[in-house]
Amino acid sequence: MKNTFKQIFRTANFLIGFIIISIVLLFITIYPIFNPGNPLRMIGQDSFTPPGTYFSLYDSLDVSHVYTFRLEGADDNRIYAKLSDTDREHIKEWLLLFNDYDDIFEIRAEDIDLEDTEGLLGLWWEHFDPEVRFDNMTIAERRVFARLDVNMDRLFDFYDKEVWMYNPESGESEYLKSVGTLDYVNVSDVANVRILPLGTDNFGRDTLKQLVSAIGTSLMIGLIAGLIATGLGLLLGLIAGYIGGIVDDFIMFFTNLFTVIPGIVLLILISYSIGQEHRGATTVALVIGLTSWVWTTRAVRAQVMSLRNRDHVNLSKLSGHSMPKIVVKDILPYIASYVVMAFILQVSSGILAEAGLSMLGLGPATTESATLGLMMNWALRYNAHLSGAWWAYYPVILVIALISFALNMINTGLDRVFNPQLRG
Amino acid sequence: MGKIMLEVNGLTTKYITRYNEDVYAVNNVSFKVEEGRSVGIAGESGCGKSTLALSLMGYYFAPLHYMKGDIIIDGRNISGMKPDDVRKNILGSEIAYIPQAALNALNPTRKVIKFIEDVVRVHNPKMHKKEIYDLARERFETLNLPAETLNKYPVELSGGMKQRTVIAISTILSPKVLIADEPSSALDVTSQKMVIKMIHDLMELGYIKSMIFITHELPLLYNVTDDIMVMYAGQVVEYGSAEQMVFDPLNPYSKGLMGSILVPEDGTRDEKIVAIPGTPPNLKNPPDGCRFAERCKYAKPHCRVYHVELTELSNGRASRCITSEQELREAYKNE
Amino acid sequence: MKGYRKYFTKKIIWFFITLFAAVVLNFALPRLMPGDPVAMIVSRVAQGINDPAAIRQMFESYQERFGLDRPVIEQFFIYVGNLLQGDLGLSFSRYPRPVADIIGAALPWTIALQLPAILVGWLLGNVLGALAAYIRKGFDKTLMPIMLFMGGIPAFGMAVILLAVFGITLGWLPVAGGFEQGLIPHFSWRFIASIIRHYHLPFWSIVLISIGGQAIGMRSMSIYELNADYVKYSRFMGIKDRKIVGYVFRNAMLPQVTGLALSIGGMVGGALVAELIFSYPGLGTTILQAIREGDYPLISGTALVITIMVLLAVFILDVIYGFIDPRVKATQYD
Repeated sequence: MKNTFKQIFRTANFLIGFIIISIVLLFITIYPIFNPGNPLRMIGQDSFTPPGTYFSLYDSLDVSHVYTFRLEGADDNRIYAKLSDTDREHIKEWLLLFNDYDDIFEIRAEDIDLEDTEGLLGLWWEHFDPEVRFDNMTIAERRVFARLDVNMDRLFDFYDKEVWMYNPESGESEYLKSVGTLDYVNVSDVANVRILPLGTDNFGRDTLKQLVSAIGTSLMIGLIAGLIATGLGLLLGLIAGYIGGIVDDFIMFFTNLFTVIPGIVLLILISYSIGQEHRGATTVALVIGLTSWVWTTRAVRAQVMSLRNRDHVNLSKLSGHSMPKIVVKDILPYIASYVVMAFILQVSSGILAEAGLSMLGLGPATTESATLGLMMNWALRYNAHLSGAWWAYYPVILVIALISFALNMINTGLDRVFNPQLRG
Repeated sequence: MGKIMLEVNGLTTKYITRYNEDVYAVNNVSFKVEEGRSVGIAGESGCGKSTLALSLMGYYFAPLHYMKGDIIIDGRNISGMKPDDVRKNILGSEIAYIPQAALNALNPTRKVIKFIEDVVRVHNPKMHKKEIYDLARERFETLNLPAETLNKYPVELSGGMKQRTVIAISTILSPKVLIADEPSSALDVTSQKMVIKMIHDLMELGYIKSMIFITHELPLLYNVTDDIMVMYAGQVVEYGSAEQMVFDPLNPYSKGLMGSILVPEDGTRDEKIVAIPGTPPNLKNPPDGCRFAERCKYAKPHCRVYHVELTELSNGRASRCITSEQELREAYKNE
Repeated sequence: MKGYRKYFTKKIIWFFITLFAAVVLNFALPRLMPGDPVAMIVSRVAQGINDPAAIRQMFESYQERFGLDRPVIEQFFIYVGNLLQGDLGLSFSRYPRPVADIIGAALPWTIALQLPAILVGWLLGNVLGALAAYIRKGFDKTLMPIMLFMGGIPAFGMAVILLAVFGITLGWLPVAGGFEQGLIPHFSWRFIASIIRHYHLPFWSIVLISIGGQAIGMRSMSIYELNADYVKYSRFMGIKDRKIVGYVFRNAMLPQVTGLALSIGGMVGGALVAELIFSYPGLGTTILQAIREGDYPLISGTALVITIMVLLAVFILDVIYGFIDPRVKATQYD
């Protein structure tokens, strides 16, 4: 026994899987200690806030100490940030129109680099002429370019910005302070700072916090579903395999039946029948467990049938041992390794099944807690994938894949120890 | 003295385990088989007899590796040949093999005749289907196998039938040496008899010129083969005629081995069956002296120190024991 | 031939038994709901409808279909009778369109998408698994973890990744629907080209999720076969390694046909979810919309059709297997 454990921990696959699962478990236990609170609280008014560090603009004005820095390239950065993407597109548009209009000036669309702020501005000042009239251009369109030219000059206004405060008593605004281009505050001096490593979701909820709690819930669903499926499968497999005869035929009839009837259909029909209001995480786990026992039953039965006529079992029978005793002492130890592997697989497929169900809108009730499937469902329902809010769905997919990869690795590792033929 | 069909000189092969350890399963084995004769190889399981069978084919694949020694079949040394040449020119036509677990030796989804075609075409790529069929049919009929077998899948054949089919396929190209590795041990008594009869027929009809028969069932060897070779821990410990080996084993190990079985002849022995105590040595680092010394009840202290060679005795027999023949016989008599 | 006939008869009988069971299940599940099933069913849809007359009408039509006042056996016969006429009831969300009509429109899309995708995934997975088993070494060591990882990615996950990468970021392929919006289905090059462009992403996402599991199964099977006694024997009979590898892979592949039959239910489930990511006009999207809108007749009808599709696929695979594996014939003799 001790030797087997040693061997298992020497298998690379098992170790990789074990380490991944351990890290995940460690993370979901430790993270809430540092970031407590309800993971489903909506902290943002906007949907899909990108990942990053947020600090309160309001509070930053009240910071007592203001530092002065002369940072290299600060002005360039400011101009780069001020020149918006639409402005850049307009510059390009004008240059191309000008290219057609003027015989001497020549530029190709692929030569204009929208990222090159300096180059764009240079081209603009060199070639923009408010007097030029292109054919087929409406007045409105011409005004766009005129406005752009004015804006372009403003890029270089580096005046101090003044902050005025509204005084409700006098009903007037009072001068508060002025902010120069060289003024900096230290983020740690700002009263309210929030780091959102994965931004927020469609409802303005902290995605990472939600993910951590969702991993916990999904793992629990997987565990419950796995326990039920493995327990039921083991029980039915033992009965069918050991007793045989008509009992076996009866159990195998249902097993074969539920092997071919697609599990998703059963899941959909049962989950829908239960109704949204009664569907907690536990109920969903129960339903998944109750619809996925067939594989374990099949395999356990096959193994028990081959064990049933082994010498040691016959010896036990002849010595008058009772059936439960024979099963526990002479059969279970031989299939234990298999049952453990089946259980691990069931956990991983339970997590996947929950995710699939939630995608269809049949997951656990949404108010209780997040699950990986629900997070995925929300992200897609609010079109995170179409709007580029990758943080709302990639981490979820990655976590699901990682957990089931790790469980599969543990399984193949065990398989290599228990079925040496598969060794590489 | 007939023509020598198979001569083996100092053949050594090893297994490389997955932990990269060397296990010398066949260690410096030499013997000869003349035309028309058969040699039996006996020994406990793990003594290297099956590995010797594999090694004699001259065609190695991991984890078995060739180390040194010669295998000479009808005057042709095959141990230096390229594996692909051995495959094309030797296997099946010069030397053939009947595997231990013949029940699964045939591809279950390939018809018997199709497999025979594959085998024959290794050596005669141009041979026509019809010719192959005729050859197979004639051979099967001579060996009392129904010709319908040819058009069946192996899964449709019974155990005994499968084994006889395998033997017929192995010898279809009339090889000079046939190596049979426990061809009958998995069968019931009737099938066993038929297999043995078939092997007799093959020899008599001249389809095979010599044979090596490996088994742990010593009584069978006495009935089937002319000579018997006993192996222990990868080495040959005694060699002699079947008669000598069964009724008058000289080496303490052979004596123990013969003592541990029942020979169904009158008067062979009156003592009880005695198993040899202990287990064979680990071949990863075999002992320096006699490998059997640990278990030998006649062993003396120097047995564990000095290396012993296989020594020729009178009557063409040979034994590997440091103790002289007389001394041993004296010891046996006093029991 | 006797062995085969026995095998087919068994499989046909089994097909009808499973079909019957699926129908019974479909009949029984709503009736097992607590309370009055008709009221429950209609109340779920009624939340979105303001016209009381329409709700009343739905309620009555459904009460008639269920015939709850009659004995269960009679209810069942009414139900089967309706089924045999292809009558699956009227959809709530697209009232009064018949359910059979909606499913009929979605079914060809699903079959045309899933059948080739699952077959291609199965084939590719088997080839990769076989290669991993044969080449071993580095190929096996890199391929297997990748396969395990891919096998772990849920169907919708793969679909979303492909959609985000190839549809949005690279903008190579359209991300939703079965054909360009605004096009009217007709036989023209433009329409076919549009269908093919929309086909890629859902197709490849189903292929990719099917590969992983199949490759792992095939690898184990092939390793098992490579260690079989016939391999050793064939080698000693001088047969070329390449030919022996041919034997091995044929033998390993055959059980994979049964494996496909056993796992096709799960694969279809995954593919349905992948479908809805792309709003592909098949059954997956249909059932999603039906669930969102509480359209029970449509859910139930779609579930039944999916089940029948899978049962048919299993039956066909079993029949094919009977033809190609001689071992089947032999086992029928005992």
